[in-house]
Amino acid sequence: MAATATRRLTRRKRTILALLTAALSATLFAIMLIRQASAPDINEAFPAGEIVVGVDASFPPFAFDDGRTARGLDIELASAIAAELGIPVRFENIGFYALYDALISGRVDLLISALRIDRARMDDVRYTQSYYDNGLVIVMPADAPETNIESLAEARIAFEYASSADTQVRAWGEAGRAIQRLPYELPKYALDALQLGLADAAIVDATTLRLYQRETMNSTSHFEYITSDPYAIAARIDRVDAWKLVDGALAALKERGEIARIIDDWL
Amino acid sequence: MKLKRKLLADLPRSRRVFAVAMFALAALGIALISPRPADDQVPLGEQQVVETAKPRVCVHTLLENEVREAKIKRSLELTRELGAATIVQFFPWAYYEPQPGRFSWDGADRIVRHAQRQGIRIIARLGLVPGWARPSSEAKPTTLNYLPPDSYEKFAHFAAAFAERYAEAIYAVIIWNEPNLSFEWGFRPVDPSAYTRLLRISYPRIKAANPTVKVLAGALAPTREKAGSGAGLNEFDYLSAMYQAGAREFFDALAMHTYGYHDAPSAEPDPERLNFRRAELLREIMLHHGDEHKPATITEFGWNDHPRWTGAVRPSQRSAYTVQAFEYAEKNWDWVDNLCLWALRYPADTLSYPDNFTLISADFTLKPIYFALQDYARGWARSEETWLPPPRAG
Repeated sequence: MAATATRRLTRRKRTILALLTAALSATLFAIMLIRQASAPDINEAFPAGEIVVGVDASFPPFAFDDGRTARGLDIELASAIAAELGIPVRFENIGFYALYDALISGRVDLLISALRIDRARMDDVRYTQSYYDNGLVIVMPADAPETNIESLAEARIAFEYASSADTQVRAWGEAGRAIQRLPYELPKYALDALQLGLADAAIVDATTLRLYQRETMNSTSHFEYITSDPYAIAARIDRVDAWKLVDGALAALKERGEIARIIDDWL
Repeated sequence: MKLKRKLLADLPRSRRVFAVAMFALAALGIALISPRPADDQVPLGEQQVVETAKPRVCVHTLLENEVREAKIKRSLELTRELGAATIVQFFPWAYYEPQPGRFSWDGADRIVRHAQRQGIRIIARLGLVPGWARPSSEAKPTTLNYLPPDSYEKFAHFAAAFAERYAEAIYAVIIWNEPNLSFEWGFRPVDPSAYTRLLRISYPRIKAANPTVKVLAGALAPTREKAGSGAGLNEFDYLSAMYQAGAREFFDALAMHTYGYHDAPSAEPDPERLNFRRAELLREIMLHHGDEHKPATITEFGWNDHPRWTGAVRPSQRSAYTVQAFEYAEKNWDWVDNLCLWALRYPADTLSYPDNFTLISADFTLKPIYFALQDYARGWARSEETWLPPPRAG
């Protein structure tokens, strides 16, 4: 009888303990949610009072060194984000091989350097939303009846020899698509061939197309992305506030058309 | 099953829980100690021979960090099919001697056995210092390239053990990589005399363990850095200093790195310009020091074709320059025994310009340059057009 009472008491204690644990966990979880939902503090996110951006300035027109300072699309983007957050920005020119190490070691706060999103780094790094897509595009004349890949059976497709576009066209060929390959030495020639009616379509990356249209003042073609290669900003995985602020600033700049303007300025 | 249920039902509740827990633990233990259906079940396949018309064609592989053995095999099959009879492959000391004198060769074994089965010989690059051979991290944080002088003997011991174990498979060993860069010398000022001491200690130990293996020195990075630079020292001054320190007796061939950057392979060498024929300036230093009988091995060279990196050329140029470089060497460099292209494939894409040094992408897509080089190495006529002339109106 006494043993049963003791067991009951123990069971009651266990129940109380379990309830208390559950309540504590729920409270902690709620605090975490509230903390995540609240606006991050810029002073906590960037305690040095500035944003230090790591950039490999060997990628014109995204970032390059003009002999005195770093310039380019990524530099202007970083400056716009810093202005949006009301904090100064400083750049560190770092070779690609050391970029992520610089971020992880805390030497820089962010990487803004034509970075492609790397799934293998997500244990260490948080990426923002993408600000640019440099995927391959298929370009067709403005008056083409159809502007999609399916319409390209038997088509003459121009591309740069040995480029990623070439690899794509080879893959289509291996998959049984009847395509006439038109390899050119330069991507410009592939786009010229399209303009001259020597090709039904051309495949280049999005940046090449934009730079060509800028150079030739010709933007009458249709294009469609056939691969996606998004560029994003990287922050260290534990710098949640910094990441949140930067991602928010990027979204606001996008909303106001500032990102599109910066891209148009450089590409 | 019914019997088991009955047995359990006969037990008091607490014992039932205990019995089930014990059963689960036992099952887990059996699962853990049972032989895993691991990668080492990848069959080696039949003995192969590299069919090549150009036996000096070699590629640098990066198999040391490849997790899956099947990918090692596939990489080496593609090397064989390319027509490359030799590879340069990194064998990191830190991976294979985790504790002093206790070797763990599994990772190296699987690379070597597949290379042998594909008929490919190996030039082994040795480096990367285990933690126990570096100062303790409390005393002094160091990188994996930091080899303190009191560990030169330890490195030599490892190099000798490696050379002995793989005597049948390796053609040469390279002592260290790019010691003329501060980064590769453990972020210390570069020191040709210290590197020469490393050669002096390693050479006789390796030769005693494997008298036929060639010991390659140098593998110096092409750079214009002047004396006093924090980043390193140009390869000419460094090599001269090595000779002055007495390195001549302690290597059988000089390993050279000679990237093309923007220049065609035929571009004249110039100490102030980084290009392919810069190797000829290193050769002049060898001749000056009486080493005309020693060959050189180009253990890294190549061009990059990233669309926007400032050190790159166009893909068409990369493809043409690479083949032309082999042709140039064939015609003019009888002192070069192998030209090893950087690089066959990375285990994972870097998602930036380094990917544009490779012949094969991480997902094993063969790039057009692979086929261009294959045509050259196998002695085949080009199987397809390269590129069309620029388009013209009308």
